[in-house]
Formats: sequence, structure tokens, C-alpha cells
Amino acid sequence: MKCGTSTRPVFCLPLCGVETGLAAAGAFAYHAPLAMLAMLYWLRQIPPFVWLAAGVLAVVLGTVAYLILLERKVASWIQDRIGPNRVGPRGLLQPLADGLKMLVKEDYRPPFTDRYLFTLAPALMMAVMIVALAVIPWGGVYESPAMRWRVQIADLDIGAVFVLAVLSLAVYGVVVAGWASDNKYSFLGALRATAQMVSYEVPLGLSLLTVLLMYGTLDLGVIVERQAHMWAGVIPAWNIFCQPAAFVLFLVCMHAEANRAPFDLPEAEQELVGGYHTEYTSMRLGLLLLAEYAGMIVTSAVCAAVFLGGWHMPGLGGPDAARPAVTHSAWVVAARCAVYYAKVLVLIFVFMWVRWSLPRFRFDQLLSLAWRGLVPLSLALLAGTAWVVYVFGAEHRAHMRIGGRMALALLGMNIAVAAGALAVGRMLPARVPNRRLAVPGSRFAAAGMATEAGR
Amino acid sequence: MKESDVLVLHPPRLTTAERFYLPAILGGLARTLKHLVDVLLRRRHRVIQYPEQRREELPVEQGGMLLRTYHGLHRLNRDEAGRVKCVACFMCSTACPAHCIHIVADAAPWPDREKYPVVFEIDELRCIYCGMCEEACPVNAIELTHRYEAVGYSRQEMIWGKEKLLEMYDLTITEEPM
Repeated sequence: MKCGTSTRPVFCLPLCGVETGLAAAGAFAYHAPLAMLAMLYWLRQIPPFVWLAAGVLAVVLGTVAYLILLERKVASWIQDRIGPNRVGPRGLLQPLADGLKMLVKEDYRPPFTDRYLFTLAPALMMAVMIVALAVIPWGGVYESPAMRWRVQIADLDIGAVFVLAVLSLAVYGVVVAGWASDNKYSFLGALRATAQMVSYEVPLGLSLLTVLLMYGTLDLGVIVERQAHMWAGVIPAWNIFCQPAAFVLFLVCMHAEANRAPFDLPEAEQELVGGYHTEYTSMRLGLLLLAEYAGMIVTSAVCAAVFLGGWHMPGLGGPDAARPAVTHSAWVVAARCAVYYAKVLVLIFVFMWVRWSLPRFRFDQLLSLAWRGLVPLSLALLAGTAWVVYVFGAEHRAHMRIGGRMALALLGMNIAVAAGALAVGRMLPARVPNRRLAVPGSRFAAAGMATEAGR
Repeated sequence: MKESDVLVLHPPRLTTAERFYLPAILGGLARTLKHLVDVLLRRRHRVIQYPEQRREELPVEQGGMLLRTYHGLHRLNRDEAGRVKCVACFMCSTACPAHCIHIVADAAPWPDREKYPVVFEIDELRCIYCGMCEEACPVNAIELTHRYEAVGYSRQEMIWGKEKLLEMYDLTITEEPM
């Protein structure tokens, strides 16, 4: 082999290709500044809510992936373990591994399932949860000489009703998934989900209604703004401090709505294999699981807006004390979004903490808790709130916010309702468990007839 | 069945606090929070990072394991001449409660014994590691080692034959004499 003369093949494009490429590059160099300008122009044309929607979607979906890691971590901390720590530093890349696993698994659809509904269900679940994010008031109102914008994807003045309506659609995802699977365990899970969600929708709506009654509005942004001041200079005027009982009711119903323990009967692993998502594999299962976590984010966001003062933190109010939501600084808006999200994450931690602490309710306990416990309590709270609002009517309407005296009255009313419930609960007849039914042919057939419920 | 035969049990009536669930729930949440804080702040967890850290390296009080009494994978011992010690008497396969030992015997090619195993198979997946084969063996040919890590790509691969069991002897004889 000779070294002097090079016989290396020369890799190059055919001549015509080079010419075309050069021409294209030249054209690009000539037109690029113009194109950039045009692009900037178009970017300016995109309204801010689109950017917010893209941002919220990215942040929420990213959070959802990491919530699964957090769930596993919280579970292991509570159980004296340390949790996933192999993928990446301290296990922080675990969501990537999980996601990759979900994506590359075989997407299997069992025979005899309903093809269209089976595919529809996960999409429906996820879509519903994402749509519900549209009315979350992330950061008050941003005002600049150029524009005035409520930092919210959809500026909807019936936000509370919208959220309730959309969240109750989530049950369709569960029911459709269970029905389409053609599997009796899935179907049982779906049936349980229906009864549970229909039952808990009532106290959820009622406890939300107590707050709506106080402010006379359905707009979540306005509800947050009315909470953005302090009582006696130190206590933030959040509804959790003047309506703690309503907050507890709302929190309990949130757990049921999000199908989380101790109300996770639709997917009770120990009884129903996996409930409505038994037959799902691959990314369809992934979507169902992600939708569960997205649902946690949505319900927590609503709860944070209604009871925890949304974006409000002392110091984040705007310059005008009468309209604290209005701010002229983009930094304040960003800080408000961060505060809001921190509150949401705290609530989500509560979800997880509860899940790994409490055993699951039995189905009859679940329903009797809703109908015998939560519904009467929330009705009593609603009546009490209506009374307080009536008594403080003139003062309340003048300020359009809850004053210190009214807050004390509401707090007293909450305590009175809780104490009254304790007293009344004492007087209610005990439920009869363990009732024997005389089924012909059973070994209790002779004996059981005599004592229907004997003590 | 008569009425008098039926024992009717009623759960005790709940107190007011119990009826409201919340005190008990808060108690439970406080308990789990204590564990969470203990793990996070005081590093009080019970994790052994398995491949790097092993139970046999820890004292028993800290979740460790006494290897000395551990019933692990089997081995077939060799005699002084390096031949398989087993005389194919079928005592172990008879004693085996899981029926996981399969022996095919033939006349021994050596003058000092009548039979030897042509085939000696143990299904390591079916075995319950009770050690009764070891107790039954009249010539101390089969023994349980302290090894517990066995992997294979199929169930068939986990049925260990005579060669594999003798190989286990070669692997373990220095640290675990007969």
C-alpha cells in the first residue's frame, strides 16, 4: 500500500446538489432577517393566554410525571424505606424510565373489548382534566399600558360551575373504561365509581356553594381577589380560617372525586385486580394513571383558590388596596403563580400522606358517610353561612369582602355546626350491622326468621 | 340449626369521637408523619442496598442474617478421588416433600459401590429448601450451601443436573467444608 498518493474516496454531494444547497443557503441568508421579523410579528399576535396555556400544560404534565415519583417516595418514607434511588441522582430520573417503559410496552387490546370506547376512555379522562385547568386563576390581573390581562387561560365568569361540570365528566372516563373492558372486575370498579362520584358530587358542590354565597360570585378569580387581604393585620383572609368545616368537607370530597385512598374503591387492587384499568396496557394505562394525578392537581388547584387564597401571600397584593389582584409587574405575576403552585403541591402532599395512612372504606361505609354525614353537614353549613351573610348584609355589600367581625361570626357558626353535629350524631339511632336474612335453604333459615335484628 | 346455636355478635357502640372519624384519622396521620420525618431528617430507615450491601454482613439485630444456619442452593459432594459421592440410593428423593429430586441410577463403574447416579436433577424452583434431603443422605453426598443467588432465563434452566451440582461443590468447598 502506497502512502504518498491518496486513494481515499471523497465524500461529497453531486455538483448540482452543491449548487442547489448554496442557492438555498444564500436565499436563507437573504430572507432570514425578514423571516425572523415576520415570526416575531406573528409571535406578538399570539394572545397571552395561549402562552399561559402552553406553559400550564408543560408544567402540569411535567409535574404529573414527577408526582408519580413523589408518590413512591412519600410511600416509602412513611413505610421507613427510602424509595427509588437508582435512576439518576437520588432517583430523580425515574419518571423518564417509567415513561419510557410505558411507551415501549406492547399496546395490547384484549379480544371482545369495545374497540372505540376502549380507546376513547383514557383520552376522555386526560382531556377532561386538562380542560378543567382552563379556569384556574394563576396570578390575578396584569396591567400594563399596552394591555390588561387576567392571568387565566379562559377568562370565564362561571369558573366554579365550569370546574364542577367538567370534573363530573371524569366519571365518564372511568365508566367507559370499565364497560369497554368487558371484564366483570373492571365493570364493578366502574359501577362503584359511578355511585361514589355521584354521591360525593353533592357535598362537594354544597361546600363550594357556602363560599360562593359569601362572595356572591362564581368567578374563581374574583373569589381569590376577595381573599387577598389580612384580618387584624396578621391573619390572611383565606376561607380556611373562617370556614374550616367547609374546608374539611371539601377536602374529603376531593379525595372521593379524585378516586384517591381512602376512597379508591374503583381501583381497589386487593378486591378488583385493578378496577377499571385492569385491561389496559402501555401508554393507555399510562394516560389513565396520569389522568388520576392531573385530577389531583385540578382539584387541589380549585381547593387552593377557594379555601387557601389562591395566589395570595402577604406582600403579593397590588398597589391598589381596593383591587389587590391588579399588578403592574410581571415579576409579581410570576411570584403569584409560584405561590399558587406551592399551595397546590402542599395539598397534593396531603393527598399522598392520607393515601399511605388510612385504610380503604367499605362501600356501604363510603355511601353512608356521604349521605348520612357529609350532605347534612354541608347543608347545615350552607344554611348557617346564608344566615351570617344575611345578618352582615349591609356591611358585607359595602366592602365586597369578608371583614374581621364577619369572619369571627363564620368561624363561630362553623364551630356551632360541628358541635351540633356531634350532639345530634350522639342521639341518632345506631345502625344495625350484621343483619341476618332468612334465605331459604341456608343453615340460618329456621333461626334467622325470628330475629331480624336482635340485640 | 336452632336459634340458641347462633351466636350473635354486635360491634361495640362507637363513642362520639369515633363516630366522627376525624380524631382517629388525625392520630393516624400524625403517626405516619412521624415516620416520614424520621426517615427524612434523622435517616432512620430500614433499607439495605442489596447488591452492594448484604444481609449477611450485618448483625442480626440490625436486620442481618446468619449465613451459618441458612439453607441455600444444593451441591453434590465429591469423594477423595473426585468422583461423585452419591450412591443413588434414592433416600433424598424419597424424603423430598416437594418431589423435586430426580435420579436415574446405574451400576457403578467403580468396585467400591454398587450404584451411582447417571442423572441427578434438582428443580431449584420447586425445592422448598427444607434440608430433608441433606438429613436423609446416608453418605453425606447432598448438602445445602449458603449460596442463595441463582438466575436463569427459563424454568428448564433452573433444573440443575449432576454437573451443575458438582460445580457448586467446587465453588463452595473451600468456604464451606463438608
